[in-house]
Amino acid sequence: MILIVNTTSDTSLTEELKKHTISKEIDVVEAGSMNIGHCIGCNYCWLKTPGECSVKDDYEIILKKAVHADELWVISDTALGFIDHKGKNIYDRMLPIATMYLKFKGKQMRHVLRYKKKTDFGLIITGEADKEYLERWLKRAALNLGSKSLGVYEKEELTEAIACMQ
Amino acid sequence: MHAVIINGSPRIKKLSNTDKILEKFTAGMTENGTTFEQYEVSDKKQWEDIRKAFYENTHILIAIPLYVECIPGLLLEFLETLSPKNDETEIAFILQSGFAEGIQLRCGETYLKILTKKLGCKYAGTLVKGDNFSIRWVEEGTAERVTAPYTEMGCEYAKTGGFESDKCKAFTGPEIFSFPLRVMLGVVFAVFAKSGFKKISQGVGCTKPLDYKPYK
Ligand SMILES: Cc1cc2nc3c(=O)[nH]c(=O)nc-3n(C[C@H](O)[C@H](O)[C@H](O)COP(=O)(O)O)c2cc1C
Repeated sequence: MILIVNTTSDTSLTEELKKHTISKEIDVVEAGSMNIGHCIGCNYCWLKTPGECSVKDDYEIILKKAVHADELWVISDTALGFIDHKGKNIYDRMLPIATMYLKFKGKQMRHVLRYKKKTDFGLIITGEADKEYLERWLKRAALNLGSKSLGVYEKEELTEAIACMQ
Repeated sequence: MHAVIINGSPRIKKLSNTDKILEKFTAGMTENGTTFEQYEVSDKKQWEDIRKAFYENTHILIAIPLYVECIPGLLLEFLETLSPKNDETEIAFILQSGFAEGIQLRCGETYLKILTKKLGCKYAGTLVKGDNFSIRWVEEGTAERVTAPYTEMGCEYAKTGGFESDKCKAFTGPEIFSFPLRVMLGVVFAVFAKSGFKKISQGVGCTKPLDYKPYK
C-alpha cells in the first residue's frame, strides 16, 4: 500500500494523483485540515506506552496506516529552504515506529525498529526549497527507519513521482 | 558581548537535555563578563519576546536537539514567524543529539548554514556533539559527566563569538567509531543497555515490553 499524506490545504495535487494511480493501491490522507501537533519529546512512545504517542490528535490515523505501508509520500509546502513545520511534524512524530533499543547498522548507530515492515519515503514539495539538501536529508531520514528514499519532487514533477510509486 | 540564547527543544525546560547543557555552557560563557538572556521555544508564551530579542540583538545562539536529522518541527514553526534581518547579526548553534558519532549530526549541521542565510544573518559556526540522550534519564552526577565539558566551550564562545576554532571542532569527538569499539558497544547494547532501559521504563510505570506492537 502507498500512503500519501498531504499536509497542504491544496487538494488539487492529490486529485491529480488519484486520477493517475488508479491501478495502484493508494491511501490518501488529507492532513492539511487535520489537527496534528508537533512531537513534544516526552519519550513515552519508547518508555511508558511503547509504540503509542502520548499526543492524542489526528496523527494516530497516519501512524496506524504508516506501519503497514510500503511507501509513505508526504506532500509538503516549504519554508526557510526546507519543508515547512507541518511537513516536518509528520516525520518527527514517527518516533513510535522505532524502539529505544540500539544496534549498529553498517558503521553507524541506529534504533531497532518495532515492526518488520519497512516504509520507503518519497517527498513532493509545493514551494521553493534547497532541493539538493532535501534529497540528502530524506535519505538520512529513511535510513533511520531502515528504509530508502524514493526522491524529492517538485509539484511540476508529479508525473516523475507517480512513475516511482510501485 | 551580550548573547541571546534560544533553547530550540520542544521539551519543557525542566526536562530538556539542551537546558542542562546550556546551564554548564553559560557558566563558562559568563566567566569574563559576557551576559545573556535565555528563552525556550517550548513555551509559546515566550515567542513574542524571543522575536523581539532576535530583532534587537546581534549575537544569537540557538541550541538544538537533533530531530530526525534536522531541527524540530516546533522550532521550525517558530522560525517561520521571523522576518530576515539582513544586517550584521551573527547566529551560532549548539547542535546535540542522541546517537553518539559526529557523522550523525552533519546533515543537521548543513541545514543550519542554509537557515542562517534565509534569516539574513551571518553564520558563526555550530558546536556539534552527540551522546546526550541519557542526560534526562540518569542521576544528576552521571548527567554532570556528560554536560560538564560544555563549560569550556562556553569560554570559547565568549572569546570568539562562535564555534569556528579548532578546539570547538575537536569537541565533536570521532566521526565514526572504530571497529573494536563498535563490537564492544554492540555487546553493551544487546546485554546491558536493554536491562537499563527496562528499569527506566518500569520507573515511569510501563507494564509492556519495550518492543510492544500496538498496531498489529
Ligand atoms: C522526535 C525525535 C527525533 C530525534 N531524532 C534524532 C536523530 O535523528 N538523531 C539523533 O542522534 N538523535 C535524535 N533524537 C534524540 C535527541 O536529539 C536527544 O535525545 C536530545 O538530547 C534531546 O534534547 P532535549 O531534551 O533538549 O530535547 C531525536 C529525539 C526525538 C524526540
